[in-house]
Amino acid sequence: MEFVYLYAAMATAFVAATAGALSLRARPEAANRLAHGLSALGSLLALAGAAFVFSAGPQEFTLTGDTLFGPVAVRVDYLSAFFLAVIGAVGAAASVYAIAYSREYYGRRLGAMAALYAAFLLSMLAVVTVSHVVAFIVAWELMTVTSFLLVAHEREKAASRRAAYVYFVMTHIGTAFIMAAFLLLVPPTGSMAFADLSAPTGWLRDAAFLCALVGFGTKAGIIPLHVWLPEAHPAAPTHVSAVMSGVMIKTAIYGLARFYLEFLGTGPLWWGAAVLAVAALSSVLGVLYALMQHDVKRLLAYSSVENIGIILLGMGGGMAFTSAGLPGLAGLAWAAALFHVLNHAVFKSLLFMGAGAVLQATHTRDIEHLGGLIRFMPYTAAFFLAGAVAISGLPPLNGFVSEWLTFQALFALPAALAGLTGKLTAAVLVSLLGLTGALAAACFVKVFAMIFLAKPRSAHAAEAQEASGLMLAPMGFLAAACLALGVLPVPLLGLLTRTVAPFLGEAPATTLATGDWYAMGFKAAATTGTMSPAALAGLLLAGAAAAFAGYRLYGRAGRTAGETWTCGIVPTARMEYTATGFAEPIRRAFRAVLLPKPDVVVERDPHRYFGRRMVFHVKITYVLSELVYRPVNRGAVALARYMKRLQTGSVQLYVGYIMAVTIVVLVWSIRW
Amino acid sequence: MDLLMQFLVGLAQAAMVASLAPLAAGLIKTAKARLQNRRGPGILQPYYDLAKFLGKDSVASPTTSWLFAAAPTVYFAAALGAAALAPVLAPLAFGLGMGFADLFMLLYLFALGRFFLALASLDAGSAFGGMGGSREMFIAVLAEPAILLALLSVALPAKSTGLAAMAASAAGVKWTLSEVFAAGAFFIVLLAETGRIPVDNPDTHLELTMVHEGMILEYSGRPLGLIHWAVAIKQLVMITLFAVLFLPGAPLSWPPLAQAAVLAAKVVATALALAAAETATNKMRLFRIPAFMSVSGVLALLALVAR
Repeated sequence: MEFVYLYAAMATAFVAATAGALSLRARPEAANRLAHGLSALGSLLALAGAAFVFSAGPQEFTLTGDTLFGPVAVRVDYLSAFFLAVIGAVGAAASVYAIAYSREYYGRRLGAMAALYAAFLLSMLAVVTVSHVVAFIVAWELMTVTSFLLVAHEREKAASRRAAYVYFVMTHIGTAFIMAAFLLLVPPTGSMAFADLSAPTGWLRDAAFLCALVGFGTKAGIIPLHVWLPEAHPAAPTHVSAVMSGVMIKTAIYGLARFYLEFLGTGPLWWGAAVLAVAALSSVLGVLYALMQHDVKRLLAYSSVENIGIILLGMGGGMAFTSAGLPGLAGLAWAAALFHVLNHAVFKSLLFMGAGAVLQATHTRDIEHLGGLIRFMPYTAAFFLAGAVAISGLPPLNGFVSEWLTFQALFALPAALAGLTGKLTAAVLVSLLGLTGALAAACFVKVFAMIFLAKPRSAHAAEAQEASGLMLAPMGFLAAACLALGVLPVPLLGLLTRTVAPFLGEAPATTLATGDWYAMGFKAAATTGTMSPAALAGLLLAGAAAAFAGYRLYGRAGRTAGETWTCGIVPTARMEYTATGFAEPIRRAFRAVLLPKPDVVVERDPHRYFGRRMVFHVKITYVLSELVYRPVNRGAVALARYMKRLQTGSVQLYVGYIMAVTIVVLVWSIRW
Repeated sequence: MDLLMQFLVGLAQAAMVASLAPLAAGLIKTAKARLQNRRGPGILQPYYDLAKFLGKDSVASPTTSWLFAAAPTVYFAAALGAAALAPVLAPLAFGLGMGFADLFMLLYLFALGRFFLALASLDAGSAFGGMGGSREMFIAVLAEPAILLALLSVALPAKSTGLAAMAASAAGVKWTLSEVFAAGAFFIVLLAETGRIPVDNPDTHLELTMVHEGMILEYSGRPLGLIHWAVAIKQLVMITLFAVLFLPGAPLSWPPLAQAAVLAAKVVATALALAAAETATNKMRLFRIPAFMSVSGVLALLALVAR
């Protein structure tokens, strides 16, 4: 079978989904089933397309004849195929989930939502497959517009409108930089096909690097360009949040990878250093802010900032190794980054789906008002736990594998940076990644415990019902993927080495996998590392079996029920530790960054000592918003106010302006 | 077959560490009592305690879920896995033990156990457990970068994060100022990770010191015994890491039996040093721990610079 038919079938499925949803908008049930079913089908076809490319080699075909900008081609190499697979896998799961989840939206423009969702998925698939500058920008903007409209879907809420506005502004600044980056690469012939692009020389090349970093970094949500992300991701309907956080921000990673691996080629060492610096900042600050949130979807959005940071740690390492002429280690670092791309897509969409199930059952996103749901929603709880363990980077799930690879890449940095600088950089970055992991663990202990454990803290939580099977099935699939990728990562690692090998000159494939099914490892530039996730899982199983056998060997011991001891009072949910309290020590330790402002409201009348009510609230200051965005915003407004003087409303004056400019231009041209 | 062999050796090592762990705990307790002019319990007391706990019925709150019941097993399994990975046998005969045992694997196994125990601490719904869990995660956040920095001061010269390679490199190293800094750095995180004064107090669960003991307040009977055992295993693994990677050892040319004797002597010496450290200091305020941990980080960085 030809690849082009597969691609056409995929696109047709999504287009049909969009058209169907729009034409059936009067009948929400039918629109829902048709659009989301077709979206799931299209996602599976994308997955099949990726599998086709990995088995039959890169594919290319022209999409259009000669246009104004030359012929537009679709090219799916291994890098595109990898992202195609990521989008396909998560898209399929999210579409199935959406069938059940969107029932909530029957009275609220479901047809438009489902149509936009299908168009959104298609635009992402186009972004990672087209190989033409103009087509890429068009697909990119289609992705932006559809996701903007989805963020603004609940336009009755002021918060949603604001989130959508911030998203729109930020993402357009990003697009401007992406266009600039691309235009710097267009050769004198003016050809806009990816194959013809060539890197400029000198400072223009550095400018292209920075433009790509800023442009795609805005979409990826790296700090300090992340401001839109914690607003927009929670505002969208949950299955859209899952796709935005799990997959859409990865299209920016695709763009960066395309630029840094293919277009710009080997750069100076400071490129890698710059990416590493931004990455370290994003990962630590992202998770710190996540830890301070009580809105579960907002928390997950901040955690995406952290994970993008971890991905960029791998990419920055890869760039540094390329500059130092170490393709083997560069392969390791890039493979680590791409592995984390897939892992984050899997567990973040799983966590968003879990949060959506909780939201639908309890109608609250504030974890301070939840609790005890492990009883009422046992499957959701189990799947969410799998996601929480995976995102904390704990074995034997997939997060650990990609973090291990990133650790190894950072550990090998002294090979690229000789002397003390290399050692200290490696030591500091490794310990910062360790800090990030520990903070993520604290964060997800907090989230899981507050939502699912102990007693319900509100009536909403106490009346929760388990989510429907159509929502649980995709969550179960993603949780199983977390386990499978964590225990047997070696085949995927093989695919990833094949993915990055063509860009690095020398094939790192022989150095990156040990060839054993159970162990992953590498050997490059006098550094080696080996790790066996399967053996790690085996050890855990053996340990659990030993504990269990110990229980049994000792004979049966009874287990009686006894109420939790709370100093003689009947325990209630009000005595439980709160999310605010749980994060308090960390908030205090990092107060230099977080600048917390506690606010205590006490109603103590009529008696001095027996207050009626006490509310404790902490406000976190977002230093970067204060330092960067507020001054820029203020400056822009002041400038606009100043410029307004030019605009008097008098036509004569405007004609005068035009004349003045014309005279200046004429005088300027006479000089030559 | 190679994997199976390594796996079985690792399990044998885990069994050895697990059976010796209460002895190490008893040694520290007895030494501490002597240093404080008390008679204290016998050195085998932890074994009697374990036997008693494991034979008892347990009480669980009706508020708790299956996670509360499963957490001690996960915690124990993680500690046992770490014991299988630790370079205990590696210094005796290189190549024996887990060739792929890696320091990140070891640390993340501990993190896995801690994750589940912290969750369980919040499951019973009392403020005490939550306080313990919150503080445990806080200390872990502070200790994690410090412990990585300290271990990197050995791993970077060894050019590998493999524990066997690190042990091999550490055995051949000459004892200089940089090694003293590195040892100091790891000793501080050893105090934190084993829950000792000045970071935590392993002997009480009063509110002021409510960290690890506060976290497991709701456990009783068998699950509690399992947790205590796992804590002892983790403690012995950390002590062994310190002894193998940071203390001067016997030359590699010595026969295995002599190597084993030297390792045992180093472990005993470390245990005694822990008892002495605990006697000589006071429990620190919780919010002074960041400064304490940064001392460790600075020492580790100095060790790297000096090398």
